[in-house]
Amino acid sequence: MHEMTSISGVLLDDAALTLEELARACNVEPEWVVRRVRAGILGGQPAVQITEWRFRSGDLLRARRLLRVERDFDANEDVAALVVDLGDEVRRLRARLHALGLD
Amino acid sequence: MEYKDYYQTLGVERTASADDIKKAYRKLVRQYHPDVSKHKDATEKTKEINEAYEVLGDAEKRAAYDALGQAPRQGQGFQPPPDWGRQYGQYDFGGGEGGSAEDIFADLFAHMGRGRSHRGGGAGAGMGGGGFQMRGEDIHAAISIDLRDAYQGATRTIGLRAGQQEKTLSVNIPKGVTPGQQLRLAGQGHPGIGGGGPGDLYLEIQFNPDARYRVDGSSVYQNVPVAPWEAALGAGISVPTPSGAVEVTVPPGSQSGRKLRLKGRGIPSSQPGDLYLILDVVLPPATSQRARELYETMARDLAFNPRERIGA
Repeated sequence: MHEMTSISGVLLDDAALTLEELARACNVEPEWVVRRVRAGILGGQPAVQITEWRFRSGDLLRARRLLRVERDFDANEDVAALVVDLGDEVRRLRARLHALGLD
Repeated sequence: MEYKDYYQTLGVERTASADDIKKAYRKLVRQYHPDVSKHKDATEKTKEINEAYEVLGDAEKRAAYDALGQAPRQGQGFQPPPDWGRQYGQYDFGGGEGGSAEDIFADLFAHMGRGRSHRGGGAGAGMGGGGFQMRGEDIHAAISIDLRDAYQGATRTIGLRAGQQEKTLSVNIPKGVTPGQQLRLAGQGHPGIGGGGPGDLYLEIQFNPDARYRVDGSSVYQNVPVAPWEAALGAGISVPTPSGAVEVTVPPGSQSGRKLRLKGRGIPSSQPGDLYLILDVVLPPATSQRARELYETMARDLAFNPRERIGA
């Protein structure tokens, strides 16, 4: 059986995820997210009530990268955050090199 | 389907301990990480390594994999034994990410141990009406578009497998998307179990590399070659941009690297980005007699020292 469906999605930046939705998308418990938000590793909203927390595209991408490093290397959350930050910086610098025709 | 030798992928013996498998995996992940590796096929290799470890790093999946036997060699045609699925729990061909035929083998193991990995034994699972019920897993995949598609919106076709059914989704990519944004397609993830709802499909927007442009959020940077006299004297030039040709005024006295900002002509997201044209002064080659004469005239008549700033 083969079917063709035309479908429109929703950009997370227009309809952000709740805490529970982000946790589900990463296949983790909400506590995993809460801990990293409170530590300033993920998202940028620890002052607001938890039920009001919202997460956008960048947060989902970052959460999945953090999780990958933590799982792959049994890394603690701070080390994982450092690795992910360094990876972001490498990508940023590579983009600059590309723009300058140096890659 | 094609048999995959996951032990060979990780470079370990079939008798390797769980600890050895983890060590081998970590070594390979570091070696082929796309952000640091110089290998041309680093991304593909990382995918293979992850797939192998998804199975061999999980005791239950490894046992099921081992039960398939050593029979065929890597890459050979293969069918699991008829009772294998019953013995090792449900298997279906559900949802490779962007599913191609090669993913079918990995899918044999994809659903084992669902809901227990980091969710402590089945968050999202419940006993509904006396039976076990669990929402389907979300699927994460990436979709690549051209920069022009972000200016206009686009439709992309992706193939997915859900249960025994293959389906093709025609996905509308909205105008104004930027790299890294996630498009959520509700209900298009893995099917649920026991009446649980399906998961969602998350598509990460990626841009195909384009030597002409650099994208940073919704800002777009584009190099624009100009002639020396256009840069020196100023000129009105026509520049092809992702949103069509625009007429631009090059200010007199411009140098290579000067940025001209075209407000609102970046990616048209909810807050439209800007387009930055970076001037690149290109010299005409001195290959003809006339060209050489002109350069010689400039050399003689212009008191110009290009190395003044470095103390020459």
